[in-house]
Formats: sequence, C-alpha cells, structure tokens
Amino acid sequence: MSADRAADEPADAPDEVDPTVEMADQAGLDEPDLDRGIVEAWAAKMISNPDRAYRATFYVATIFFLVTTLFPFYWLFVIAVTPRNALSTTGVLTPGGTPRVDVDLPLIDAALSVPVGIGEINLASFAQIFTTLPFHRYIFNSFLIATVATVAVLLVGSLAGYVFGRLRFRGRNAMLLLVLVTSFFPPAAFFIPLNRLFNTNVDVLRPLISAGSLYNTPYAIFIPLSAIFLPLSIFILMTFYSQIPDGLEDAARVEGTTRIGALFRVIVPLSAPGVATAGVLTFISVYNEYFFSSLMTDGQPGNWAPMLEGILRFQGEFEVLYNLMAAASIVAVLPVAILVVVAQEKIVSGLTTGAVKE
Amino acid sequence: MASVTLEGITKRYEDVTAVDDMTLEIEDGEFVTFVGPSGCGKSTTMETIAGLTLPTEGTIEIGGRDVTDLPPKDRGISMVFQNIALFPHMDVYDNISFGLRLRKYDQEEVDRRVEEAADIVQLEGMMDRMPKEMSGGQRQRVAIARAIVRNPDAFLMDEPLANLDAELRVHMRTQLQRLHRELDTTIIYVTHDQAQAMTMSDRIAVINGGVLQQVAPPLECYNEPANRFVAGFIGSPAMNFIEGEVVDDGFESQYTRIDFDPAAHGVTPGQEVTVGIRPEDVFLERDSRKAASPTKAFDAVVDVIEPMGKEVNAYLLFDRDVEASAEGRGEGQLLINLAPDTEIGEDDDVRIVMDRENVHLFDRASGNAITHSLE
Repeated sequence: MSADRAADEPADAPDEVDPTVEMADQAGLDEPDLDRGIVEAWAAKMISNPDRAYRATFYVATIFFLVTTLFPFYWLFVIAVTPRNALSTTGVLTPGGTPRVDVDLPLIDAALSVPVGIGEINLASFAQIFTTLPFHRYIFNSFLIATVATVAVLLVGSLAGYVFGRLRFRGRNAMLLLVLVTSFFPPAAFFIPLNRLFNTNVDVLRPLISAGSLYNTPYAIFIPLSAIFLPLSIFILMTFYSQIPDGLEDAARVEGTTRIGALFRVIVPLSAPGVATAGVLTFISVYNEYFFSSLMTDGQPGNWAPMLEGILRFQGEFEVLYNLMAAASIVAVLPVAILVVVAQEKIVSGLTTGAVKE
Repeated sequence: MASVTLEGITKRYEDVTAVDDMTLEIEDGEFVTFVGPSGCGKSTTMETIAGLTLPTEGTIEIGGRDVTDLPPKDRGISMVFQNIALFPHMDVYDNISFGLRLRKYDQEEVDRRVEEAADIVQLEGMMDRMPKEMSGGQRQRVAIARAIVRNPDAFLMDEPLANLDAELRVHMRTQLQRLHRELDTTIIYVTHDQAQAMTMSDRIAVINGGVLQQVAPPLECYNEPANRFVAGFIGSPAMNFIEGEVVDDGFESQYTRIDFDPAAHGVTPGQEVTVGIRPEDVFLERDSRKAASPTKAFDAVVDVIEPMGKEVNAYLLFDRDVEASAEGRGEGQLLINLAPDTEIGEDDDVRIVMDRENVHLFDRASGNAITHSLE
C-alpha cells in the first residue's frame, strides 16, 4: 500500500490522509473538552460515514411508502372484521367493539381511550359477501371482461406496435400522433354517444345477443375500455418491438414464416417483458375501471355487471354495509394481486433468460 | 439445387438507386460471390433474391421458376446472416428445426434431418444449448446447420464470417468450401473482403455503386480486370495506378515512360489513360531478369518499408519532392513487392522496372480496360 502511494503520488504529499478523518481529528484537537450532545454526535458520525446516512434515508423512505400504500388495506381489513353493530366504534388501528379504558391525561384536561384486549372478530363477513349477493359472479364478470380486453389489446397492439416500430413508411409519425391524440380525450367525452349507440337495437346482432343491443352485455364494457387503453399498449409494444434486430425477423421469414408469423413466433417472445407490462397494465386498468363499468349495465350480475357494481350493491336504501363492502374490496383485489405476482416473475425471468452463463 | 437468374434487377429507394439494372445468371451448383465496398448494393441484391425486399424492376428466377413476387418462405432458399441471427429464445435443436417444424414435417423426419445437419457442421451433443451459451464459431455453425437442414435450392450467405475473429474466419472459410463440395448446392455469398471472394468462389461478381462491374472467375478478375475499379478492388495490396497520356511511341506520365506501339493496343496518341501495375510486377533494376519483358528503368526513392516475412512491401516515391498522400496511394507513389532477402533501406535511391507483360491500360474517362499486357 505505502509502496503504491509512493509510486503514484508526488513526494511532497506522502502524509495525505482521508479528508474526513482529518477533519474529525482536527475537531478533536481544536475542541478537546467539548461535550457533544447526542444530535451533534450523531450528525458528526453521519458526516464521517455518509453510507449510514444513505441507508437510514433509504429505510425511512421505504417505510413511509410501505405505510402509505399498505395502510388502506389494513384499514379495509379492520373494517371487514368489525361486527356490523360495532362499526360506529371502529378505531384508527382497532376493529370496532374492542374494549377500551379511558386514561386521564395529567396536566391537560383530557382522556385517552386505550384499547385493552380483543373484541369480537367477525370473519364471517368474508362469507356473507357471497351469500348476501352472488359476489363471485361479479368478480367472474370483471375477470372475464378484463381478460378479453387484455387479449384484444395485446393482439391489436402487437400488430400496431409492429407496424409503428419496425416499418418505415410515409405518414408514420402523423398516424402515431393520431393514436396518441385518441388518448387525450377524457373517457367521459365518449360516454354519451357510446351509451346511445349501445342502447340502439341493431338487428344484425339479434342472433348473437338476445336484446339486439350491446347494453347489459360484456361487450359494452370491454369494447370502449380496450379502445381507451390501446394507445398506451401500442406505445409500450412499439418500443420493445423496434429493438429486436432486423436479422431475426428476416431469418424467420426465410425459414418459413410470414411477417405476422415472425411477429408472433420471434418478436413477441423476445419482447416478453414488454408484452407482460402492457398486459398487466391493461388488465388492472380494465378490472378497476369505474366509469364505464358502472354505467354500461343495469347492475344485475346476470347482465354482466362488473365487480365494482357488486361492491356498490352492499349499499342499500336504509343502511350501508361497510363491513361487507370492505370485505368485498379485499376479495376483489386478490385476482389482480395474484396476476401481478405471477407476471412479475415472468418479467424478471424474461429479462434474465440466458444471461447467467454469458 | 437450382440455377438463379437475375434479369434487369433494379432497386430504388426514394432518390437513391441501390441496385441498377443487374442481370446475372448463376448456374446450378455454382459458388458465386458478390463483392464490393460497403453500400455498393451487394446486400440489397441478395435481399431481393431472398425476397426480403422487392425489386423496383426486374425478375428473379430460381430453378427456372419466376419467384419475383413470392414471399421468402416459398422461394426454396435459406440464408446465413452477418449477425448470425439465431433465435435467442430457442435452443440449438429448436433453432435448426424451426423451418422444418413450420413446414409440418413429422417428428422422425425432423430428428433425422437435424441430426444429419448437426453432423455436417460438427455440433453433436449441443442440441439443448442456448445460443447465448455458445462461442461465436459454434453459433455460426448452428446458423449454417439451420440453413442446410431444409435442403434448399440455393444458399444465400450475407457476410457470414464478418463477425468472427480473424483466425476463426480463415478456419470457417475452408469449412464453407468443404461444405460446398459436399452439398454441391448453389451458393451466393456476399462479402466486402476480396480475399474471401478470391479464395472461395467459382465466380466473383464485383459490384460498385449498384452496378455490376465484372462477373468472372477469381483469377480472371485478378489478371484481366474489366475496368479500373475491379483492378483496384481485387488483389491485396492493391494495384498501382499511374495517370498519363499516350504519346507517339508509348505512355508518358510526369515521372515515367513506357515504350510501346499505340496502334497495336488500340490507343491513339493524345488519349488520356491510366496505367495499372500490380506491386509484384515491379522490380528493382538489378532484378530485372525476373521480369518477362522489363520496361526502361526509372528513378525512385524508398519511402517506407514493410517487411511481411515472406515478402517485403516497399512504398516508393518517384521524386523526393512528392508528398506522400495520407489517403491511400497518391500520384507519384508506387508500392512494390520484393523478395524478403532484398537489401534495401528507407530513403535509398533505387531504379525500378515494370514487367511490360502485366501492365494494364485503362481509359481515363470511362475507366474501362484497354489492354492487360503491353507485349
């Protein structure tokens, strides 16, 4: 080490030391008797060892985000397990009906009610949501609509993404802009014309749909939602497809595929992370969508009303079953949560395939 | 196995003509190399044969069948690409069998053919490797196996060795020649490396600026180049060119004079011509007996010497006042090949002769060859 230094550095600076250590040393020399407070000592430690500060900041930030994102779920869970008659006494952190004791605070004239013990935990609401209403049917409806929309968006988005990402033609940028412009409109702007359109009886549809109109069918939800979420997927897929080398597509075509065959056999599998991203985003957006979902059906489960309608159905004329709504919300989140976990593994595996033995 | 015929192929992009009216007949089983500098249109020509781009004009026949409007998959060709283009998400077996599976061959047939192809390029026991786990040479062999497994009418190879290191490239070059001998299939090969073109081909098609310059066996291109471009492109180190004029009894330039009878070679006094002479056809005056028919000697100064082992390359200047050009060999500079034991030093004054038998004459305006020997 010292030999290296001597070789690397000019001879007049052989005693140079780490500047932070030097600073600390000097501070120690100048103020030998200073009795530092806790905060000051902590600050000095952070300055001399900034990695600790960064790590501390990381944990603070992570915990902050975890709390803000996970607390609503906890809150939902607390409400869901609260018995119906105890809903009014639900605390911030405790289910309603938890026995409490008032503790007088000294000096100020106030009392704090502290929870002691555990009250009645009512897990039955997770079963009641299926018995009170066919909530599983609502979830199935939503799941089906979101799945069909995702498949449709990925299919059309792949074709469009291929064209925009891999072909050069006149008017490409103008058309791309047009696609982008469609996503500028607020979805509400489409609602009235679409609602009238879907309520019109179209005779050619009669053999397919009993009423002859799209209202109260899953098509009424997934068609507009697919169209609204399509531009985003086109942009994601376009970016990924444009990065696949031309040689691979040429090779596939020479080997015996058409352009479309090359797209689905070579380009799409190699863009798996992009396809997964676009698919997950579309699925979640359609599954969670409120506006069209609540207006394009009459809310009957048999008429393909989505999950959202199911949750709102627990709100009756005379009472609101908050505990059931909370339980239904938690149950409704599960399919999406599972999907994201599965897709995330796919995304990660897609990124790291073959990279290990490089 | 099939012949390939190009008839008036032209490819125009908006305002650039990449390939200009190319007509070429490639016989069954022939190994033809398209060679030319980057951007000369050789790859575009190959892509039109493969069907990856459609020609603006002209027709393409493979095995007597007009394929101009057929998609690549129906042309009976297979292709090896410069960037190898193995499908990264498939293992070796899937890569090789990709085309067969698309054509719905039954499993036994696929297995048999894949094994056969893998055997030819010596890939046994690597069937379940992924492309990323293989070396460059192995990947190239997989690409070749993928090309031969379908038994195509013709192979197209687009600079298949360009991405390999030098040693492997020479090795693969001989492998490809052996492969051609074994399969006896038409091979169309694209390269910018004239050494590969010279060593492997039955015929070379030299392309420049989208125009076919000469189609001939390698040695003919070397010994009887059709024009100045071919003369300069084929052969390494490249031919020397001396700009000058035909006079009553020969050729004269600023520094040189070659005596010959203009009438006997179809030139007229006053015509502006370029003399081309290959480095190995220039000799020191003291070795002039090596030349079949030496010209008169003229003076030069040695500028730089490059000993190559089996020979010595010497860059000469005709005059001490000539400034060596930074870009290639300029006017007044000459490169000569000497025997390795030649005693010569930089800055020496030397006298040199050319071998009249191998002096090429080109018309300066058109670049076309006038004669390949002044004998």
